[in-house]
Amino acid sequence: MKATGTDLPTAAWVVALSGLDRMGPARLGALLGRWEPEEAWRQVLGGAVHRDRRVVAEARRLDATLSARWRRDAAGIDVAARWAAHVAAGVGVLARGQTGFPAPLADDLEPPPVVFHQGSLSTLDRPRVAVVGTRRCTHAGRATARQLGRDLSSAGVCVVSGLARGIDGEAHSGALEAAVRGGAAPAAVVGTGLDVIYPSANTELWNRVAALGTVLSEYPLGTRPQAWRFPARNRIIAALADLVVVVESHAQGGSLHTVDAALERGRPVMAVPGPVRSPASVGTNELLVAGSGVVRDADDVLLALGLDSGAARRGWGDSCGSGSEHLDAPVGSGTFGATVLEALGWEPATVEEVAGRIDAPLVEVAVALSRMERDGLLARHGSWLERRDLPP
Amino acid sequence: MLAIIASATLLGVDGRRVSVEVHVSSGLPCFHIVGLPDTACREAGDRVRAALTTTGIPWPQRRITVNLAPSGVRKNGSGLDLALAVGVLVAHDLLPASAVAGTGFLGELGLDGSIRRIPGMVPLVDALEADTVVVPAGCGSEAALVGRHRVREVASLAQLLAALRGEAPWPDPPGDEQTILPPLDPDLADVRGQAVARLALEVAAAGGHHLLLAGPPGAGKTMLARRLPGLLPDLGRREALEATRVHSAAGLALPPGGLVRRPPLRAPHHGASTVSLIGGGTTWMRPGEISLATRGVLFLDELAEFARPVLDALRQPLEEGVVRVCRARAAVCYPAHFLLVGAMNPCPCGQGGPPGACRCSEAGRVRYARRLSGPLLDRFDLRLDVARPDVTQLLSGPPGESTATVAARVATARAVATARGVSCNAQLPSWSLDEVAALSPPAAALLESGLRAGNLSARGLQRVRRVARTLADLGGRDGPLGEGDVCLALQLRAEPEHLGAVA
Repeated sequence: MKATGTDLPTAAWVVALSGLDRMGPARLGALLGRWEPEEAWRQVLGGAVHRDRRVVAEARRLDATLSARWRRDAAGIDVAARWAAHVAAGVGVLARGQTGFPAPLADDLEPPPVVFHQGSLSTLDRPRVAVVGTRRCTHAGRATARQLGRDLSSAGVCVVSGLARGIDGEAHSGALEAAVRGGAAPAAVVGTGLDVIYPSANTELWNRVAALGTVLSEYPLGTRPQAWRFPARNRIIAALADLVVVVESHAQGGSLHTVDAALERGRPVMAVPGPVRSPASVGTNELLVAGSGVVRDADDVLLALGLDSGAARRGWGDSCGSGSEHLDAPVGSGTFGATVLEALGWEPATVEEVAGRIDAPLVEVAVALSRMERDGLLARHGSWLERRDLPP
Repeated sequence: MLAIIASATLLGVDGRRVSVEVHVSSGLPCFHIVGLPDTACREAGDRVRAALTTTGIPWPQRRITVNLAPSGVRKNGSGLDLALAVGVLVAHDLLPASAVAGTGFLGELGLDGSIRRIPGMVPLVDALEADTVVVPAGCGSEAALVGRHRVREVASLAQLLAALRGEAPWPDPPGDEQTILPPLDPDLADVRGQAVARLALEVAAAGGHHLLLAGPPGAGKTMLARRLPGLLPDLGRREALEATRVHSAAGLALPPGGLVRRPPLRAPHHGASTVSLIGGGTTWMRPGEISLATRGVLFLDELAEFARPVLDALRQPLEEGVVRVCRARAAVCYPAHFLLVGAMNPCPCGQGGPPGACRCSEAGRVRYARRLSGPLLDRFDLRLDVARPDVTQLLSGPPGESTATVAARVATARAVATARGVSCNAQLPSWSLDEVAALSPPAAALLESGLRAGNLSARGLQRVRRVARTLADLGGRDGPLGEGDVCLALQLRAEPEHLGAVA
C-alpha cells in the first residue's frame, strides 16, 4: 500500500469513489485509469471530471449534472471516517493491483477496481463453478440446484452464485450442506454493500456463506440494492467461474446476463434441461438448442471441467435405471398410487389434470395424491402438486 | 275542515306509517308542509296543486296547513303526494270523509294528474294498517304480496275521484303487462372440463360456503360464478318476501308475479363505494348491494381491485347475516344473508398459479396479496385456483352435468342440513362438529399429518370438516367422514400460495 500525505492507504480513496451515486464499474474504471485514486478524488471534488476527454470517452454518460452531483456528494464525505468504518466492520478491501486481489478478476475485461469481501478469499483457490438461475423457480429447479451445489462442493468445487432467492440460494444451501462435511466452501457475489443483506430472507444463508466461504462485492458498505447493480454483479460471477451452469431461466431472465458475460469471457456455459412447457425452463432449453452443454447432475459438470475422468461415471443404462428405481420404490409398482405418480410426471399438475390423464375418479386421485404428499413424495403449491426428489 | 289520510314513507327496507293531516282554514291563501319533509316531499304541494288543477278541480283559495305525523320521523320521497291530494279534497269538502276512511294512499302525482309508481311498495304497504290501499297502476301485484289489504290500482287522479265518489267502479287491474321473460340462468352444462371448479360450485351451493376463485384471465372464473345462483333452490316464502322487500325498497324491477322467488345474483363493479355496497347514503337509506344479494349470491369480480376498506366492511355482515347502518338521523338494519363469491387474478400479471409461470416480482406479489385482509380471506371456506381449461376438453370434451342435475343434488344436501337444524353446513356451530362431522380413522390420520406439518390451522380444520360434511351429504354418505371427502375438502381449500399464510 502506498502511503500518502495523509497516511490513508490508496484503497481508502477507491472506497470513497466507489460509494458515489451511480458509480458503476465503467465510470470508476475510467476515473482510476486516468488518475491515481487520491488524485481522482481531488478531481471529483473539483467538479471537472466531465471535462476530461479521456475519462468521458471511457465512462458511460458522464455529464455535467452527474459531475456536479458527485462534487456535492464528495464534499460531504469524510474519506478517513469512511475508511475507518470499513476497517471497523472487519470487511476486507482490496483495490486492483494489490496483492491478494483475486486473479481471475484482475485480468478481466471489466475488472472491478475494488473488491470488498467477508470471509477468506482462499475459498477461490479451487476450481469454481457458477450455479445460477431464476428467482421464480419451480420446486424441481430448487431441488436440482441444491443437489448440484451439494455434489459439486463434495467434489471439491467452489460453488459461486449470487445469494438471490430461488436457484442461487438453493445452490448455496446445497454447497453449505457439503461444506460442513468437508466439501469445498461456496463463494457468493452480491450486488449490495456487505452490510445490506438482500433479500433479507437470506440473512442466515448469507452469514453462513460468509462464515465458511466468502461473500464478495464491488460496492462499499451501505450500498442499497438497485436494479442496475445486479447485472454488473453477474459479470463478476461469470468472471470468477471456470464454468457457468444455468439451472432454470425464463425466456428473458437475469441469469442470461451471466451467460452473456460468461460467453464474452470464453467461459463454457452449461444448462439443465427442463420440461418443454415449463416457463421457468424456456431460457435454459434455448441455451441447449444454441449448443450449450447438458447438465443432468454434478458428474456432467465435473466431466466438463476435466476433474472427472468419466471412469466413475455410471453407464447410460445404469444412470436411468437407478434414478427411476429410487423414485418409484416408495409407492410400490403396480398399485394405483404408482399409476397416479406416473401420470403426474415431473411437471406441476393439478389433481384434476392427473385424474383426466388416467381417466380416474377425482376422489380416488385426490386420496392417492394426499397420501403421497403426506409421505413427502409431492410438494404442493396452491392447487398444484409437484413431484419431488426424496432426500438421499 | 280537517282530514287525516293514511300513508307511509320508506326508511331502509322498512316502511313507516305516516298520517297526512290537512287543515283548511280561512285566511290569506297559502300552503305549508310541516313534519320533517325532505325536499321531494316539500315540493309535493306544487305537484298536488298542478295535478288538481289539470284534473279540473279548482285549488281552494284558503290557508292550507299539512302536518306529516309523527312529526319527528324524517319523511322522504314523493310517495305521499297522493295522500296529500286526497287530504286536500276531503278537507275542502270535495270528497266525503267516509269515502276515504280505512284506506291508505301511496303514489306520486304527475302535473297532468297521473299517478306514478314509487319504490318500496312492499314495505310501504306492509306498514299500513288500513283495510284498503290505493296504489299506482302496475304496482298491484307487488302491493298484494303483503296479503293483508284490498289493493286498488289507479292510473290517474280523475279515475280515483270517480271511484271514491261512487260515480264509477274501481278500475280493473291492468291485465298482465306484456312481461318480458327474464333471461334464463346460464346452464352449468356450458362449462367444459373444470371438474374441480364445478365441484366447488356444487359444494358452495349445497353448503353455503363462501367461494374464492383465483386464476388467470380467461380461466372461466366469471362464467363459473354466474352459474352458481342456478344451483340454489327456490326461495321459501319467508326468504322470498325478505328479498322482495329489499328489491322493492331499492326500486329494482321485480319479476312477474312480484315475488323474488329465485336467488338473486348481484355483481357490483370493483369501483363500488362502501355505501353502495353496505347501504345508507341518502335520507331514505337505500339498501346496498350486499342486501340486494340477500338469499342469493354476491359476486365480487376482481376482488383484489376493490378498495380494502370496502372489503373489510363486508366482514361483519358475513358473520351476522344482517348489516346495521347508523347515521346521525337514523339507524337501520338490512338483511344480508348472501353467499359470497370472489374472483381474482393470482397476481398482478395474472399468470401466477403453476410454479414458475408468474412474471411478477416477489414484492409485487406480496403487495397484491396484501390487498385482501386475513380476516376476510378467512371467511372463504372454499379457495380455488382455476386454470385455463384444457384445449382438447374445450373443443371435444363431453358437456358437463346440467344445472338441473346438480341442483337436484344440492336440494337433497340442503334438506339433510335442515334436518340437522341449520340452513346449510357452513352454519354448523363448531361444538357440533364432533357429532355431525366425526372423522373416520384414515381421515383423522390425514388431517393430523396436515396439522403437524403446519399446513392446516385449527380454524382451517373446522372449515375442512364442514366442507367434507357437505361433500358427504352431496354423495348421500352419512356417518363419519371418509378419507375421500376430507381429501377433496382439502383440495377445495388448497391455499393459493400467493394469498399468503395458512388459514
